[in-house]
Order: sequence, then structure tokens, then C-alpha cells
Amino acid sequence: MATHSDTHHEEFHYHAPGLQHQFEDMKQQEESVSIGMWMFLVQEIMFFGGLFTAYLVFRSRFPLAFAEASNHLNAFWGGLNTLVLIVSSLTMALAVYFAQKGNRNMQVIMIILTMIFGATFLGVKVIEYTDKYNTGLVPVTGWNKKTKKADAEHAAEPAKKDQAFAIPLIETRAEASEAAGDHSAPYINPKGEFQWNSGRHVFDYAIEKEKSGKPYLTAAERVGYFSNGEFDPNKYRDKIRIFYYIYFVMTGLHALHMIIGLGLMAWLLWAAYRGTFSADYFAPVEMSGLYWHFVDIVWIFLFPLLYLLGRHFLGAH
Amino acid sequence: MQNVDAIGSGIPVYPKDNFLTNGFTLKSWLLTKDHKRIAIMYLITISLFFMAGGLYASAIRLELLTPETDLLTSATYNKVFTQHGILMIFFFLIPSIPAVLGNFLLPIMIGAKDLALPRINLLSLYIYWVGGILTVYALLQGGVDTGWTFYTPYSTTFSNSYVMAVGLGIFINGFSSILTGLNFIVTVHTMRAPGMTWFRLPLFVWAQYATSLVMILGTPVVAITVLLLAIERTVGVGIFDPAIGGDPILFQHMFWFYSHPAVYIMVLPGMGVVSELISNFSRKKIFGYEFIAFSSIAIAVFGFLVWGHHMFVSGQSMYAGLVFSFLTMVVAVPSAIKMFNWTATLYKGSISFDTPMLYGLGFMGLFLIGGLTGLFLGSIGLTVYLTDTYFVVAHFHYVMVGGQVIAYLGGLHYWWPKMTGRMYSEFWGKISAMLVFIGFNLTFFPQFILGYQGMPRRYASYPAELQVLNIFSTAGASVLAVGFIMPLVYLTHSLFFGKPAGDNPWMLPGLEWRTTSPPPTENFVTTPVVTWEAYEFGEESGLDLEGARRREQVSTVV
Repeated sequence: MATHSDTHHEEFHYHAPGLQHQFEDMKQQEESVSIGMWMFLVQEIMFFGGLFTAYLVFRSRFPLAFAEASNHLNAFWGGLNTLVLIVSSLTMALAVYFAQKGNRNMQVIMIILTMIFGATFLGVKVIEYTDKYNTGLVPVTGWNKKTKKADAEHAAEPAKKDQAFAIPLIETRAEASEAAGDHSAPYINPKGEFQWNSGRHVFDYAIEKEKSGKPYLTAAERVGYFSNGEFDPNKYRDKIRIFYYIYFVMTGLHALHMIIGLGLMAWLLWAAYRGTFSADYFAPVEMSGLYWHFVDIVWIFLFPLLYLLGRHFLGAH
Repeated sequence: MQNVDAIGSGIPVYPKDNFLTNGFTLKSWLLTKDHKRIAIMYLITISLFFMAGGLYASAIRLELLTPETDLLTSATYNKVFTQHGILMIFFFLIPSIPAVLGNFLLPIMIGAKDLALPRINLLSLYIYWVGGILTVYALLQGGVDTGWTFYTPYSTTFSNSYVMAVGLGIFINGFSSILTGLNFIVTVHTMRAPGMTWFRLPLFVWAQYATSLVMILGTPVVAITVLLLAIERTVGVGIFDPAIGGDPILFQHMFWFYSHPAVYIMVLPGMGVVSELISNFSRKKIFGYEFIAFSSIAIAVFGFLVWGHHMFVSGQSMYAGLVFSFLTMVVAVPSAIKMFNWTATLYKGSISFDTPMLYGLGFMGLFLIGGLTGLFLGSIGLTVYLTDTYFVVAHFHYVMVGGQVIAYLGGLHYWWPKMTGRMYSEFWGKISAMLVFIGFNLTFFPQFILGYQGMPRRYASYPAELQVLNIFSTAGASVLAVGFIMPLVYLTHSLFFGKPAGDNPWMLPGLEWRTTSPPPTENFVTTPVVTWEAYEFGEESGLDLEGARRREQVSTVV
């Protein structure tokens, strides 16, 4: 290392592209940045870890309510988004590869592709959130679409769902009105409340199982769904609302990370377009790539936990 | 100045500027990437927060002078103790040693030009400021009354105070701590000078490294917890309020998962400072270097497994309680290892009772009491009786103030000549160190007895029989306040009138003493090459200590 500093040595330092003043050489800088990024990802894991813990606690206590609620997420959109993110990880990895090769044009293309996939993901998320907003599945009062009786009567045909993935359950008030036809019971939600209409398909399935003599409910469920020994739809609904609360917090924070990722990509695109990165200096691309992959991986965990949970109950019917 | 010749491997030439004289504009401070300037800005800010927290503490002690609720109403008292806790813990204790002394010294101690990520370092300072301003704003608006622990559902549903703003302030502030920890870990891994192997690192650096691990692993959890709390409070739906199907115990688990390790964020750096003080002021290689180094890591690891001992009576499972009680005993072992090694280091050492060493020895005494009473509280039978009494208050003040604050003051005095290039008045330094020690014990020892007699914490009034001990405590708090204000005066005075300290006023071998005081912006003119072990006081380390001492004696006599 630099035990004796002659001027040539210093000049070499000065000209190394992107070398910060505090480092001796590029190797030290790359190592530092890399460890720093990994440490940042460690803290991100702990950050999401708190949420996953909250999910696991409630999931293990109230599996039936969580399965019930999960069936109202659209697994088609969720699956599509999973695919989109996995492909975006590929293009991101290729962007890093082309940066290392010093291929500016392919780098730019790959970053643009990554951004397109990222934006697609967010677009699908908007569709999903809008659907939850329209059908009253946002857990917060007032944050759902407010429909009065007059609005509902003049409303157009309810949106057709993709039959292959649609859930044949009538559990929310929106579903109930759709099933009954517009005229008899129009779907109204004047205050924008959470619209779970005491649906209990999964719960009933579990009770059937219990009758065969096999304990099926968890200890928490035996307390958490009942009042005075009777099934209490309001308490069941509370647990379902907790599922949606966790769903929105987790996917919302994930989407926020995606937006930050897109910001990073925009900056990378600008830098790559100007030819900043070369075979000697590509750390920013690599580090942004690590971040992007991390955000993808979080989704890889979110998708099965939130969307696929308990879909086998449908097959049982 | 002649010491530089005595220290062979020191720098051969003097730099033109030191870090203080390298630019005088406001911009040169606010946009600096220099870890030393950032440390100084942290020092000023946390001192302000310490004073604010101290004012709240004074209000608490004045209220408790009499058994009746007279000075403050109960509601105000709730806010006062809450804000005392929040300011002291999140805005003083957690950043104190890492962000001030660690920031300033960690790169110098390992022979680096700066932290590995200087801009991240500046960002952490700005995040700290934003979080701090938001919190101060909330306090000025009317404050918060939930206790610093924000227990749900009181904080989510019932409290009618500024929980949101304070929660947000703490959430933001957390990222300052995360970024500092991240920076330290990277720096220790990649920025060590040639020859500075892991086992030549000063123990202060090891302690900072362990602290940083806790910061990175713990702080994000409390961040998400506070965020969930804030969402629940805003929208009225969530997972913590039992009225809507939530679980308040889950909040406590998630909160203490960070906040117990946070206790180690608040004491590990102090242990690092004390390792430096004990070894250096005994002029003896520290006893059991590896054991002290690894006990720091062990504390960081085991610290994550004991959070449940804050919840023995809150409804967690009895079996969990048993395990947490056992693990609490286990986590005491590495702390004990440190205590024994420090004691062994003192044995037959050439001890000098300079101001920093007085703080170092004070730490050993106070931390011993704080640590052992922690074992009382960790034993699952006794704790049922002692939970939420003043015994707990006394215990954690012995660890937090008797540990971290004392160590912080010791470290500040120890490195003050390096940071400013000036020597403070040793006379006043010793007086204030002793006042702090006496005042502290007078304040908090009676609280052990009060707690044992059953006085509950967080009440503005108490039975009249307990007044005598409370008067002792308030009297002690006054002495303690004087002890804390004195350094403010004489340290500030020394900035302008103190005699120049020289590069190595204590005659020590550490790398930080081999550069100028104050150090130049790049810390070392040429990258140092480390050829000696940590705390090596032998002649071969290049330190002519005896000669230097003789010279000093001559100059004192003159």
C-alpha cells in the first residue's frame, strides 16, 4: 500500500475515475461500497422482518380468517407481477453485465427495460389497489369508494372478472349485490367502510372438518372467533381486516421501495447514457442492482404469503 | 511538541492546516465530508439535547421533593418524564459516544483518512437534525405522555398528545443511527491502515463495531414498529389494539426486540471508552485483550435474545419468561468478563489519577452496581415484586448514566486535547468528576431503597413516609447538575484560554496520539504503518515514556 507517496502515485490516484478522496485505490473503494450496500440490505431485511413477524404471528393464530381473506386477492395479477419482477431481475443483471463489459448501448437498453418492467409492476399494483378500493376491501373507513344509493342505481355494469381466476365466493357486500343483480340490492357504501359481509366459507369448511373429530381450529381461533360460545361474525371480520391491513402495509412499503428503485434506475440511465461506467468503474450499477434484486426477493416472499394462502380451500368445494 | 521526535513512527512534518482551521465559512462546516467536523457538530447538538433532557429531569426531581402533587399536575408530570426519557435515550445516549467520539476517533485509531462513506456520515447528521427538530416541535406543541415506551393501546387509541410527531421524529432519527452503524462496520472492514490487523485494533474500535451490529440489526425493527403504531393511530385500524382484534403484547415484543439491544447501544461504547481509559492510565497492556474484544461481540449477540425480561408481568408465557430469565443471566457473563479484565489490568499498573481515569474508575463502580441489580430484576421471582418500582429506575440509571454518561464524559476529557488541541483545567476536571460521582450516588442509591419499599415509578405523588429518601435524591440531583454544568464551563473556557496540549499529552502509544492535535483534515500526512500491538507501553514501541515523563516533571517544577 501507499507507504511512500511520490507524485506519480498521487497523480495516478487523481485520475482514477470515481475514486473518492478517502480511499487508497479502487479495490478498497469497491470493497467498501459493496460491504456498505450489503449492510444496508441487512437493515432492510430487519425492517421488513418486523412486518413478516407481525404477519406470521397473526397468520399462525388465525389461519382460517387469513385464508378466507387471501382468496379475495387476485392471484392472476399477483402471479403476473411475480413474473414481471423476475424478468426485471434478469434485465438488471444484464445491465450490470454490460456495464462490466463497458457496452454503453446495451447497458442503456437493459436499464430502460428494467424500468419498463418496474413501471409495469406498479401499474398492476394500481389496478389491484383500485379494485380493492372499488369493492370496499381497504381496511380503513373512508378510504374506500363512497357509493350512495342513487349512484349505485345509475351505475354501469359491474366490471367483469377474469373467470379463470375469479373467486366464486360471496363474502363482501359488493359481491353480494353483484350476485343478486343490480335492482334488488344495489351495492352502496356511503361512508367508504370496509365491506366484508360476514362471509365464512373457510370457517365453515373447518367446522365440517372438526365434526369428523379432528381438532382444526387453533387455540387462538377458539377464543378469537367466538362470543359466548357462538360464532361472532364481527370478531371474524376483525381478523380479516387485519389481513388486509398487513397486505396494504407490506405491499405499500414494497411499492415504495420499487418507486425508490425506479428513481435509482433513472439516475443510472442518465449516468450510463453519458458513458460514466466502464470496465474499471461500474460499482453504482452493481449496487443499484443489488438493491433491485433485494426488492424483487421481498416480493417473491410476499406473493405466496399473501395471494396463494389457502387457495386449496376453493378446490375442496 | 518534542514528543513527535520521541515517537518514531509519528508524522515527520507538520501539516499547514488542522481540521478546524481548514475553512471558516458556514458552508465549509455544513457541507463538510470530514468526520471530525461532523463529530463536532454532533457534539454541539447532543449537548443541547442533554441540557433539555436535564431540565426535564430537574422538573421531575423538584416535583418529587414533596409527597403531594404540587409543582406539576399529574398530566404534566406524565409528559415531563416521557420527554425526559425520549430526549435522553433517542437523542442523547444513543448517538453520544458513537456519533461524537466514535465519529471523531474511529478513523484516526485505525489510521484511515476518513470514514469509508463520508457523505453517508453527513447524511446521518442531517437525518438526526430533522428527527430532532420534529421532536422538539412536538414537545413545544404540547408534548407526549405515553412514556418513552409508547405502549399500545394507550399510544394508538387513548393518548391525547403529540404521539404522531414524536413517533415520526424517532422513526427518522433511527435511520441516522443505522447509517452511522453501517459506516463504522464498513470502515473497520476496509479502511484499516497497513499493519493494523483486527487484533491490533484498540478495544474502543471493537466496542464500536459491536455497537454498530446492534444498530443495524435492531433499529430497523423499532422503525417499522413505530411506523405501524403511527399508521394505527392515524387510520384507526391496526394490529396492536385488542378492541379491533390486535395484540398489544406483540407491540411490546417488537418494541423491546430493539429497545433491549438499544440498552447495549447505550453501554457498549462506554465499555470501549473505559477499556481505553483503564489500560492507558494504568500504563499497562490490557489484560485479556481477546476476551474483552469478543465479549463485546457476545453482548451484541446475546443482547438480542433477552428482550422478554421487560415483559415478565405483561402476560407473556411463563415458559418464555423462564427462558428469558436464564438468558438474562447468560448476558451478564460477558459484562462480568470485562469487569474482571479491567480489574486485572489495574493490578500492579502504574495508575495515574487524571480526570479521565477518575471517570473510568467511577464507571467501574457504578456499572458494577447497575449490572448486579440487573440480575435481581432478571430473576423471575424477585422481578414480580420489583417491576415498575423505583428499583428499576435506579437500576437503569446506574447503567445508563453511571455507565454511558460517565464513560462519555471520561472519553470527552481524555480526547479533548486531541480534538481541540487545548488542555482543560485538571483541577476543575477532577472536582467535577468527583461531584458527578457523589451526586450520582446520592441521587440514585436512595431510589433502590425507595423501590424496595414499594414506591412505584411514573407517579407525581407518593406516601409521606418516603419523603426523606426523596429529599436525598433531589439533593443529589442538584449536586449532579453542578457536576454536569462545570465541564461545560471549563471545557469551553479551555477552547480559548487552555494551554496548548501538544500531540500526546498523556504519553500514550495509540495511533490517535501519533498525529497532531488537532489532527489535519486527512488525519495523517502519510498513511501510518502499524508495527506494534495495541496498548504496547514498551520501549520498542517508540515511546520514550520515561524520558517524556522526566521532561514533564521538569516543566511542572519550573
